[in-house]
Order: sequence, then C-alpha cells, then structure tokens
Amino acid sequence: MNELPQQLVNGLLLGAMYGLVAIGYTMVYGIVQLINFAHGEIFMTGAFGALTVYAYVLPDGTSMWVALPLMLIGAVLVAVVVAVGAERFAYRPLRNAPRLAPLITAIGLSLALQQAVWAWYPEAKSARTFPQIDGGPFHLGNVTIQTGDIFLLAAAPISMAVLAYFVMKTRTGRGMQATAQDPDTAKLMGVNTDRIIVIAFALGAVFAAVGGVAYGLKYGQVDFRMGFILGLKAFTAAVLGGIGNIYGAMIGGVVLGIAETLATAYIADLPGMEKFGSQSWADVWAFVLLILVLLLRPQGLLGERVADRA
Amino acid sequence: MTTDTTTKDATPDATAPGQVVLDARGVTMRFGGLTAVRNVDLTVNSGEIVGLIGPNGAGKTTFFNCLTGLYVPTEGEVRYKGNVLPPKSFKVTAAGIARTFQNIRLFSNMTVLENVLVGRHTRTKEGFWSAVLRGPGFHRAEAASRERAMELLEFVGLAAKAEHLARNLPYGEQRKLEIARALASEPGLLLLDEPTAGMNPQETRTTEELVFAIRDKGIAVLVIEHDMRFIFNLCDRVAVLVQGEKLVEGDSATVQGDERVIAAYLGEPFEDAPGDAEVAEVEAAEAQAEAQTDAAPGKENDR
Amino acid sequence: MPGKGLIVRQRSLIAITAALAAGALTLTACGSRDNGKSSDSGSGGGTTVTIGVDAPLTGDLSALGLGIKNSVDLAAKTANKQNYVKGVTFKIEALDDQAQPSSGQQNASKLVADNGVLGVVGPLNSSVAESMQKVFDDAKLVEVSPANTNPALTQGPDWQKTKARTYKSYFRTATTDAIQGPFAAQYVYNDSKKKKVFVIDDKKTYGAGLAATFTEEFKKLGGTVVGTEHINPDTKDFSAVATKVKNSGAEVVYYGGEYPQAGPLSKQIKATGAKVPVVGGDGIFDPTFIKLAGANSTGDLATSVGAPVEQLPSAKEFVANYKEAGYKEEYAAYGGYSYDSAWAIIEAVKKVVEDNGGKLPSDARAKVTAAMQNVSFDGVTGKVSFDEFGDATNKQLTVYAVENGAWKPVKSGTYTG
Repeated sequence: MNELPQQLVNGLLLGAMYGLVAIGYTMVYGIVQLINFAHGEIFMTGAFGALTVYAYVLPDGTSMWVALPLMLIGAVLVAVVVAVGAERFAYRPLRNAPRLAPLITAIGLSLALQQAVWAWYPEAKSARTFPQIDGGPFHLGNVTIQTGDIFLLAAAPISMAVLAYFVMKTRTGRGMQATAQDPDTAKLMGVNTDRIIVIAFALGAVFAAVGGVAYGLKYGQVDFRMGFILGLKAFTAAVLGGIGNIYGAMIGGVVLGIAETLATAYIADLPGMEKFGSQSWADVWAFVLLILVLLLRPQGLLGERVADRA
Repeated sequence: MTTDTTTKDATPDATAPGQVVLDARGVTMRFGGLTAVRNVDLTVNSGEIVGLIGPNGAGKTTFFNCLTGLYVPTEGEVRYKGNVLPPKSFKVTAAGIARTFQNIRLFSNMTVLENVLVGRHTRTKEGFWSAVLRGPGFHRAEAASRERAMELLEFVGLAAKAEHLARNLPYGEQRKLEIARALASEPGLLLLDEPTAGMNPQETRTTEELVFAIRDKGIAVLVIEHDMRFIFNLCDRVAVLVQGEKLVEGDSATVQGDERVIAAYLGEPFEDAPGDAEVAEVEAAEAQAEAQTDAAPGKENDR
Repeated sequence: MPGKGLIVRQRSLIAITAALAAGALTLTACGSRDNGKSSDSGSGGGTTVTIGVDAPLTGDLSALGLGIKNSVDLAAKTANKQNYVKGVTFKIEALDDQAQPSSGQQNASKLVADNGVLGVVGPLNSSVAESMQKVFDDAKLVEVSPANTNPALTQGPDWQKTKARTYKSYFRTATTDAIQGPFAAQYVYNDSKKKKVFVIDDKKTYGAGLAATFTEEFKKLGGTVVGTEHINPDTKDFSAVATKVKNSGAEVVYYGGEYPQAGPLSKQIKATGAKVPVVGGDGIFDPTFIKLAGANSTGDLATSVGAPVEQLPSAKEFVANYKEAGYKEEYAAYGGYSYDSAWAIIEAVKKVVEDNGGKLPSDARAKVTAAMQNVSFDGVTGKVSFDEFGDATNKQLTVYAVENGAWKPVKSGTYTG
C-alpha cells in the first residue's frame, strides 16, 4: 500500500496528458458538434514539430533550457497549421452536410496524417528518440518524479488557467461561448462565427502541442502512431468530464488516467481477480468506469456545454 | 450630434428626426412554392416608432428576418440609411440594426452582464491577439465595455441582477435583458418582435415606457405586436400585413377604422348579422350600464 | 436558402466525402505494402523463381523486418551472380504484415496465388505465423521462418507432452523458446546469481510463451517469482508496472516481448530507482532497444538464437557482402537466419531442378517442400538442416549484454536438457 502515492502520481501525470489533448476535442465539439478524430494526429504532429526544431534547426548539443521553449514554439506552430488547415479545407466545406460526412472525413484525415508522417518524415518508420531534460529524478517521500514529469505537472494547470481566463474574461472568449450556445443569435450579435470556429481549432491545437512535447519528454520517444490510441482515450475523457466543458476535459482526463493506473496496480490483488488485473485489463476497467458514470450521469461529470439545436 | 431637444444622451448612431432610417422597397420572400412576403414597402424615419401588425402567419417575422440578413429577399431591396444591407447577418448588426426575438434567444448559460457584453461585440474590436497579449489597451477596452453594459442594465432596470445566470431570470426580465443586449450594439434602428408576449398589463406598461425612452435616445423602433392597446398607444404609424401583403398603413385611427383590417382579424360579417336597428338597441342598453364606468369613446376593447 | 439546390449539394458532398475516405484508406493500403517491391536480381534468360518474403516492414518492428527482407534479397542476388541453379533466376516479392496476423494471412493468400512463388521466408512473429501456416500448407508452398520461436508451430499445440508435427510445409532456422527461455533462466540463476525475478510479458504468442518457459525452468532451479505482470503493447506508459516492480523486491526482471515496449519499460523501471537489470529474448535484441531504453540500460541482457553472427567465418563473408550491397538498413538480429532460410529454399529448388533434368516440374511447389526436409549445408549461422518437426538442428544460443551503448556477446552455448 505504500506505493499508493506513487501510483496516484503516475495516474495524475498520465491523466494530465489525456486532459491536454481532451481540451481540443471538447472545444471543437462544443462549437461545431464535430468529433475531430484527427485531433490525436494534431497531437502527434505537434510532437514531431518539436522534434524537428531540436534535431534539424538547433545546433547539436543545445542545452534543453534553451531548446525547450523553442521546441514548444515549433510544436505549436505545426499543430496549429495542421488544425487550421484541416478546418479550412476538410471540415468547413462540409459545414451543412449531414453529420456523417465530416465524421468520416475526420477519420480519413487521421489516417492520412499518420501515413504522411510515416512516409515523409525522415526515419519515422520506427520510433524516434526525443530529447530529455537532464537531471536526476526528484524524491518527495515515497514518490519519485522525473524531470519530464515536472514539465507536465506545470504545463497542465497553467494551460487550464490561461484557457479559463481567455474564455471567461475576454471578448473573443465570450464570442466562443455565445457561438457554442446559439450560433445564429451569436451571428446576429455581430460575432463572426466562422472566425470563432477557426480560433477554437487553433486553441485546441495549442494545447495538444503542449501535450505532445510533454509526451516526448516523458517517454523519450515519438512515433507516427502515438496519437491514435491516446486520442481515442482523450476523447473518452472529454465525454467523461462533460463534452463541451473545458474544465470537464481536464477533470475527465485525470480521472481516466488515475482509473487506468490504479486498475493496473491493484485489481490483480483483489481476491479472485488475478486474471483481470495487470495493464492489459486496465483499459477495460477504465471503460467500465466510463460506462457507469454515463449511466448514472449521462451529461458527464461536470455537465455538457453544447448548443441546443432545437 | 443632434439638435432635437427631446433627445438627451443620444446614442452615437442616432440621427436627426425626420431622416429616413429604414427604406424597404418591394421586398418579396419566396420559399420554393410559398410566397411568405409579397412586395412590401415600408419606411421608418428617425425618431419614429412604427408598428407592424397582422394575423398570425401573415409574414411579419419573415419580413423582420429579411431586414436583419437572416434571409436574403428574393426580390426587392432593403436600405439602411441609404446603404443596401450586407448579406451576412453579423455585418447587419455592425451596420446598425438590432433586434429581439419572438421566442427568447438569450445565451442561457452566461450571466446577464455577459449577455449584454456579447451584444457589444460589434462595437469593440479587441480580437484574439489582443486577448493573448493583454496589453493596457485590452484592459481599458474591457473596462469600458463593462461600464457601458452596466449603464444599459440600469437603463432597463436589471443592474442588480448582473451576475445572475440568464436562464434563472423570470420571464419578464428575460425580455428586458434581450432589449438591453440589443441596445448594446448601439443601433440606429431597433426591431422588436412581440416584446410583450406573455406579459401582464403592468409589465406591458413598463415595456411601453421603456420603448418611449429608447425613442428618446434617438433610436428608431419598428415593433411587431398583437396587443392592440400597446400598439396604438405607442406607435406613430402602423402598417398591417395580411398574407404577406401590406394592406394599409397610417395612424391608429385610420387603421382601426379600415374594414379590411377588421375583416382580416375578425372575419367577414355573416348573413344573419344584426341590422342597424338591433345594433342601436344594444348600444342603448350598454350605454345605461356604462354610465358608471369611465370608458372613453374610440378606444378599442381589450383583445 | 432551402430548395432543390441544397439537396443536390448534399448529395454531391456525400459523394465527395466517400471518395475522400476511400482515397485515404487506399493510401493506408499502399503504405502497408513494401514500396521496394520485387527487386529484379540479375539478368539472364530461363525461368524466374520468386521467393516470397513476409515480415513487418513498417511499424515498430520494421528494423527487424527490413533486415529480413534485405538478407533474402542478398541471397537471391548471390545465387543469380553465381548462377547457382542453372537456368533459374531468383527474385523476391516482399510483403508487409505490420506484425498483424490478419495482414499475414492476406499476404499468404497473395503469395499462394502467384504461381512464380516457390518458397516463402518469414514471418517474424509467431502470432502471425499461426495465421499463415494452413494457407501455405493447403497449397503445399514451403515456408521457412528465420525468427519464429514458439515451439507449438512445429511440435503441435500439446508439445510439452506429445510432440506432433501439424504442417509439413513449415520449417524454421531459428531455435524455439522451449530452449531459449530455459537457457536464459540458467544464465540468470547460475551465472548472474539472481534468485528473485519479476516476470512481465506482452500477452502475445511469442512473449507469453517465452516468459512461461523461462518461469518453469527458473522455478525448477530453485528461484522465486516475486511478481507477474502483463503489459499492453499499444501504450508506452508503464509507470504503474514499474512502480510495482520497484516495490516487489525483485533482483531481476524477465520480459517476454519485443523491443518497442521493452525499451521504454526498462527505462521506466530504472527511473523509479530500482537498479535491476531487464532480461529478454531475441525479441529485444536490437540496437533500437538500447536507444529507447536510454543510458541506464547498461547491464540489461538478451538471449538470441545461434552464435554471434560476427564470430563465425561464414558469417564474416555475409557481413561483408551485405555491406557491399549497400542496403540502407542493418541486417539486424535475423539477417543471418533470413539469408540461410532463403538459401535453404534455393538449395531445395536446385535439387528439384536437377532431378527433373534441368527444368522446373509442373508440381514444383510440392517437390520443393519435400526436398526441404533433406536440405543440409553450411550457412551463415552454422550448419543448416531440419529435424523431423521442421525445427533447426542447430541449437546454439548466446547471451548478450548492453555495454557502452551496444550489445556485446557474453556467453555462448548449446542448450541441453
């Protein structure tokens, strides 16, 4: 039992990454009711953007303290370009099409992005190593934290705070809330809803890019398929927390991450459950939790924020 | 900006009385085989309150939608202060036309103040980058917006509930909030779509006074309503729309006396209708009963 | 504005979207097939015999898969250069299975349908082999795997009690886990002197099988298993498992699985502060493991079938030829075995052609399969021949350790008992 604090921290870190990616899913769904299945790949291209800065732009041996901010900028640039491009060329033309059309497009775009990186990024056919921050792990009592984890522990709450301020206290943020709740009326109020939609995609991409850098720092490698399963789980986290609700995205992510980790660590110890424990069953238990939550509270933990399209 | 002594703190878009603010000509709206609005002309001058009445389904709201860019008229044109309206609705608001809705369309999950702030969206220009960088200009603009919004809330009487969620307000106050939100975009023309629907006589009176106050600020008003007493108290001119066509337009007496208007609302007289002699008998009896009351002649009874 | 225009627009939008989706899916299908295609090795007239190759050419294990493909290609080129089989030119047809059993089965059908294919080298993964054996056997097309190590593939599902050969067309040049697991257990217990082990596997055929044979032998020697775990190979987050390892008091970790997971797993275990070496089988024996596991992987161990390729004189020639041929990827762990597997097919074809008066018979495939049983030659990895089950008779194994960022052979031996 003395490993519980460490396992909780493990789960929190994993969940924070889910949360950062979930923000993009939830914002886009809240405003245009589209599940952007390509968002996991936006996360992946962000990570590759950061890698590009480190491996091909900066001179060898640059200290991570200098490199990391530049890598973040690279990640954000790439991710935002991909996301805004997707909105403009893949989704906007289908704005008035039946809902299935943009959904299938998103799946196709997800595959296309994966294969594009596989095909054209140098040596991306297997995993590529991602630079690490030197420095020993830190120990707080029973808990060990890596340097890469510290980035994530700082980035997640800061991102949430910035996003919350932006949405609640700025003119553009209010425009986003209005567009999410009633796009036609928002238009009549003078809100340029097309532009708001682009901003929603771009913001989601920014946070996914931060998540991508966090992933690289934590696991030391990036590969063209890293966004696939993680994206699905992040979307699940967004639903768990309440789709359309940006706080719900982070809360859902953390809950999912902790559920997965605790299931891996402890289910096998329960009497009679040896076969159902260990990491291969962790996803099962996490999704059982999701189903239970949605049965009891279909709008998610914090409630949905989607337009009432009566 | 204006020389009219009755307009005190006039809004920036207010014009001198007597100028044409809205000029709709030959507006026709067709949906496939159905013609909802047929060749309607309407002008509104500054300092005026114009009413638009007609039975349900006459095309009044459709006509409003043509005026605000939600629909583009199949034929005809709409000019605001001499310029043709832009086809995108968010640009119509920027041009200076604001409206309220028949069924309330507030942003229910936002607060009262935030709703009004969204209304100010066109009049402020702090965009995405300004929000990200958050320089002093941004903070100043935000503060100015909030101040203006609070002024508007005081004007309609909702200042005390600024931080309440819009969906928690009682019905009458939600309507007031809609009006405040519409005023936030500093329009020159305000379109009100059935503002007193569902209100009791007291709330109706308050709304009447509010509309007068809006007119005094120099904003022209075009009102759709079914409450005849409200309309005839309020409006300088009334237009009647029946089955998409404008039947008659004029002051309250002209419109009330017009037989076609009565026919449209009440139907044609039938064959066994009471003749003149019987009508006189009934009137005499009523006059006796009314001797104690103070019913003024010429005023139509309640609907 | 509603009306006919909108409906027409919606219909064409659906059509466009369907086309886009189909295009995207086709893109993936294209990506899954090897772009290198069948390289035409050597000119000359006569018949062309195709050697099929099935391996993960993309995805996590592509390093191993590409090494396999290149080595088979080298064998074909060498045979053509030497005109080893008169009147026959060899070429290869390489297909990507991405380590997925479903892809493997599709590839098997494809190779069977191509009449020029007289033998197939592959696959890499035991789980993929399971889906391919019957397809090849029904067509009597011989299949030689350079890397499958699951004993059941040649000795039947009940191999621990009764050995029975299910598929006469399946052979392999690599030794099985029945030998590799216990070999590692003996090394860990006797040589490294570790008595408490934490066993982890990835639940796939290869990994779970290897972990099981290891565990059995380790317990027989007197060691204790202080914990077991199964990881999900699709994810990279093993922090929960790593923490469990740390708190279990294990002295060593045995991992049954492949290097894309083993690398991060080793890294995360060391990161918790647990200074225990990670030991694995030939699935982790790849330079990429060291890259992924990071600097703290020094001391990690891996077993691999055969003697170190670099030490055999026959191998030195292979290494030189491979380098000269200029392939972009390394020959990796199974390069030597793949070369030998391809050469075994070439030897079998040669026998069949000579027995038929210098021409290919009409039932070439069946004859090649039959001839394979009696193939015997000195190959890159030593003497190549097959026992009654189709297993390699060469039961050599080597233990490698990570030292200074590379694998160094530590102990070589033959497993007995």
